[in-house]
Amino acid sequence: MTFTGLIGRIFNAPLRAIIRACVALRIHPNVLTFVGVIINAAAAWQLALGWFVTAGVIMVVANIFDYIDGKVAVELGAVSKFGGFWDSVIDRFSDILLFIGLIYLYSHLRRTDYVMVTSLAMMFSIMTSYTRARAESMITRCKVGFMERPERIVLFMIGAFTNRMAAVLWVILVLSIFTVADRVIHTYRELRQPRQAVA
Amino acid sequence: MKNPATLPGRILWNAFFWTYERATWQYDVMVIAILAFVWLTPPDWLGDPMAQGLGPVGWIIDALRGG
Repeated sequence: MTFTGLIGRIFNAPLRAIIRACVALRIHPNVLTFVGVIINAAAAWQLALGWFVTAGVIMVVANIFDYIDGKVAVELGAVSKFGGFWDSVIDRFSDILLFIGLIYLYSHLRRTDYVMVTSLAMMFSIMTSYTRARAESMITRCKVGFMERPERIVLFMIGAFTNRMAAVLWVILVLSIFTVADRVIHTYRELRQPRQAVA
Repeated sequence: MKNPATLPGRILWNAFFWTYERATWQYDVMVIAILAFVWLTPPDWLGDPMAQGLGPVGWIIDALRGG
């Protein structure tokens, strides 16, 4: 059992209970997804005010909704192509909202350097999702690179709870750049393979 | 593209061309490295707009100075 696997197991028990409750109440997964983004907007507002701990608590709640929507869809038999699309779109809004909260905060503090770091981190975070989505319209799978959405969200929470948001933003920025580059290179190599085989 | 022959080169290569799943030991190592950077890097070094001081590094320096 790995360290991260153990943490996953610990958090899985209460999440299972929440999923069971949502299934019992027959809450539609698309509603859960939408509630998640609304709560994330509140977290972004707290980030903008510099209230990191409150933002962290709200992020935890928002991401419970984010995590359980797919599982509730499976248990309710409500899995749909639109649900997957809706989830992806709303996830991007949630991501951008958190970054905008920080951009507001740093511009209010007149810290142009961190406005730039946050903006670049936002750009590469969005590109991480875009490169994979676009690549998978041409190749079977493009699940390479470390910095995906769950890692980003957990890092945001760590940064908020321990007041280390600057370090977190640097990590998100650098690893997102690597992830985007990794996906571009992986897609290039995958698309080149058939032509090599023919030659 | 071929993997580098040396061990440090291979480690850097595999960290860059990341293909490991979550909850593997490689993932754990990466998480520990990230957490070490986040928690141990003094906020002053990064010019953190919301946190000041040297953080845990400062406490260690103070302890070594006997302060």
